[in-house]
This record gives sequence, structure tokens and C-alpha cells, in this order.
Amino acid sequence: MTGRVVDGRGLMPPEPMRRALAALTALPPGEELTLLLYREPFPLYAVLDRDGYVHATELERDGTYRIRIRLGR
Amino acid sequence: MTALALDESPPLHAPLRFFATAPVWGAGAGLLMTLRAELVTASRWSPETFALVHVLALGFMLQVMAGALLQLLPVAVGSAVPRVRLLALVSHAGLNAGTLLLVAAFLGAGPTWFAAAGAVLLATLAAYLGAVGLSLARARAIGPTLPALRIAAVALGATVALGFTLALGLGQIWSVPIVELVHLHAAWGLLGFALCLVAGVAYVVVPMFQLTPAYPVPVARALPLALLAGLGLWSAGVPLGFRPVAAVGAAVLATATVAFAAQTLLLQASSKRRGRDTTAWCWRLGLCCLLLAVASASWLYLGCPPALRAPLEYLTGVFSLAGAFPALISGMLYKIVPFLVWLHLSRRGPGAPLMHQVIGEPGPRAEVVTHAAAVVLLAAGVASPLLAASGGALFAASKVVLGLNLAVAMSVYRDARAGMREVRPDPPGSP
Repeated sequence: MTGRVVDGRGLMPPEPMRRALAALTALPPGEELTLLLYREPFPLYAVLDRDGYVHATELERDGTYRIRIRLGR
Repeated sequence: MTALALDESPPLHAPLRFFATAPVWGAGAGLLMTLRAELVTASRWSPETFALVHVLALGFMLQVMAGALLQLLPVAVGSAVPRVRLLALVSHAGLNAGTLLLVAAFLGAGPTWFAAAGAVLLATLAAYLGAVGLSLARARAIGPTLPALRIAAVALGATVALGFTLALGLGQIWSVPIVELVHLHAAWGLLGFALCLVAGVAYVVVPMFQLTPAYPVPVARALPLALLAGLGLWSAGVPLGFRPVAAVGAAVLATATVAFAAQTLLLQASSKRRGRDTTAWCWRLGLCCLLLAVASASWLYLGCPPALRAPLEYLTGVFSLAGAFPALISGMLYKIVPFLVWLHLSRRGPGAPLMHQVIGEPGPRAEVVTHAAAVVLLAAGVASPLLAASGGALFAASKVVLGLNLAVAMSVYRDARAGMREVRPDPPGSP
């Protein structure tokens, strides 16, 4: 499985959400998108759940949330 | 895949009814200070001082914080508040009615009014905490904001319980140790509830809106725990006479408060928007006032000359209640309200104004400058009640400006919504 990364840290809202949604629209089947943020994006989770994506989030010591997203089956 | 999901978001009017009322209380606090400066500067124990403190703490601070939590919980920790429309309506009415009763009681309406105020505020805040507590218990966030907000909720519960006990005492229904309970009530309210809440929200909004690095996770997790532990030690030590235990608690509280202020200032120093954002100046003003409040409270606690006791108590109140928390609250409102306007308009499709177009910079700049001048004059009021009265008038002016700035945001929202309605009809449940 290959991966693409959207780094939303240091971007003013709504730019991280916009870039993540654009990247997901262009995500080929089977690939994973990694989104990096300084917060947990609950509004985005709601969109992902609605549209059939699966996601998993880890929190790193520096405060970065690493959200891995792929299309569910 | 373009529309934002707002199913869990409360309607815009739920938080805004609180935000719109708070500046009225803020301006009222300034006017009360102007009219009663001599009594307020003379003693923290005068009825006028208690009235003023509660206008600020309940009418302004808790007002904004209670409204903001309803909106922030779904966004910040992924958990909506149950029955949020009804809760916003009832808790807004109860909080304002209870505050009016309490302030009237302090200003001489009679002991019965304390009992009435205590009953209204207890019922209101118990209902509020029940709903918010349920939301926090269900939340699934993994970051440090959730434990900070949970500790803040517990501390608000303790503050309310202590306040209700005091109301029974002042209402001559129950004989209670007033002085000790006042110390505990103030500490749990300001450090346990307000500061933990500000910290938990800061972990989200400071990196998000001021484009700073994130708070390091170990620090962010430790700060609210340290505040809770410090309050626990101090609360056990003060009434039971365990001075070393109380001293350790006080030292932990001071260290945690300074650490939060220093960490936030450090993050802001590396912001990508350094120097260009007025709300960052609200934060700087608030954090510097917080550090000054810790300095004056520490001097008091460590044993100042008796002649300095009343002035230092007054300064601690000025820097915390009139300086730190109002400035931090304004800094948050100027980001949260434009964000909400954008969020709710985005639901309707393209064409929503960008965040920086909702309020702009000149209005917030006018407020922060007026507020900073007010704090300087209020602090100088330690030397002359006339200066304190002038500071009160400026404080009132700054809150009028805050109210006008929020009105501008609402006007932008209404205009943009009207424009969009011509293209697309209102979705069900629109504010």
C-alpha cells in the first residue's frame, strides 16, 4: 500500500480541510492518505464516516495528530 | 465530497445568545467599578467588591465559557451536548437571572435574595453540568484537551457547591465558615474551572488560529493534573490547618499557572503570524496579567507587610478578573465567532466570507487597546480610587466595543445568508 501526505500544520482553517478533501477526491483505490494536524479533526471524521472512509489517528509527543485515511470496503 | 458535516454542531444561536449577553455584563462591571471605586479598592471583603467580582465571574466569564463549551465540545472532542437547544435556552436564562439575584443580594436587597440566587444558580448549573458531563463522558478524543475539560467540569461542580453553601450562609439559613469557604470557592472557580478550561481550549485554538506549533503533549497533559493536585492539597491544608500541605499546594498551583502562561507565550513567539494578529495581543495581555496575578498572590501568600495586604488583594483581583480572563476570552471570541460564521455559512455551499472578513482587525484592535489601558488605570487605582473609577469607565468602553464587534459578525452572517438564500433555500434546522 502506497501513501500520500497532506501536512495541514501551520495552515489557517479551512485550508487543511479543503486540501484533505481535495486529496481524498483524487485518491486512487487502495491508497492511503496521511493527514498531519495539530488538532483532532472531528468535523472531517464526520465527513469520512458518512462517505465510507476508514481512519485511524495517533498522537505524537510534539502534538502532531497523524490521521491515516483510506476508502473502506 | 465537499460539504461539511454539521450534524453534531448546535445551531448558531445556542452559543451566540451567551456571547451577545456577556459584553452587557462586562460593561456593567466597568460602570459598577466607576460608581463604587472607593469601596472596591478599600477591601476585597466589601459587599460592592463581591458584587463586582460576580458580575465579572458569572455575568461575563462563565457566560462566554458556558456558551463556548456547547459549541466546542463537538468540534474539539467529538461529542455533542444532548438537548443542546433546550439547554442553551434554559441555562442562559437561569445564569442571567441567578447572577442578577446574587448581585442584588450583595448590593443590599436582603438575605433572602442570597438563598434565591443560590437556588437558581444551583439548579441551572447542575442541569448544565449534567448535560456537558454526559458529553464529556462519551467523548472519544485522544488528545490532552479532553482531560483538561473533564477537570474543569469537576472544578465547576466544586465551585457551584461551595457557592451554594456560601449563599445559604449569607442567607442566614445555615451557619458556615464564610472566610474559609470564600477562599476555596474563588480558587476552585478561577484555577480549577476557568484556567483548566482556558488551557484545554488553548491546546486546540492557539495552534489552529495563531499558527503556532502545538503544545508538547507531556506538558499539556501535566498542567491540568497539576492544577487539580495543587487545589486538592491546598483545599485540604487550609481548612484543616496543615500549613506545609497547603504551602505545597499553593506552590504547585503557582508553578502550573506560570508554566501555562510561559509555554503559551513561547509558542506565540514562533507563530507564523507573529505580530500581525490582534487576537494574539489579547492573549499576550491576558497571559501577562495572569503572571502579574500569580506574582501578587504569591507575595500575599508568602507574607507581605500588613499595610500591603489590602492593596495586593485588590491587585490580584484586577490582574486575574479584569485583566487575564477577559483578555483571553476576547482573544478566543475573535477567532471562534468568525469560525462559526464561516462554518455555518459553508453548510449552505460556496460563497461564505473568509474568517478574516467577518470582523476584521480595527474593531478588535480598538478593544484590546482600550482594555489594556483600563487594566493599567485599574491597577493604578491602588493609589487613588479616582484612577480606579477611570479604569472602570475604560473597561466598560472596551466591552461596548466587544459587543459592537460581535454585532458586526452577526450582521455579516445575516447578509451572507440572505445572499445565499436567493441561490439555495434554508436547510432544515437552520439558525
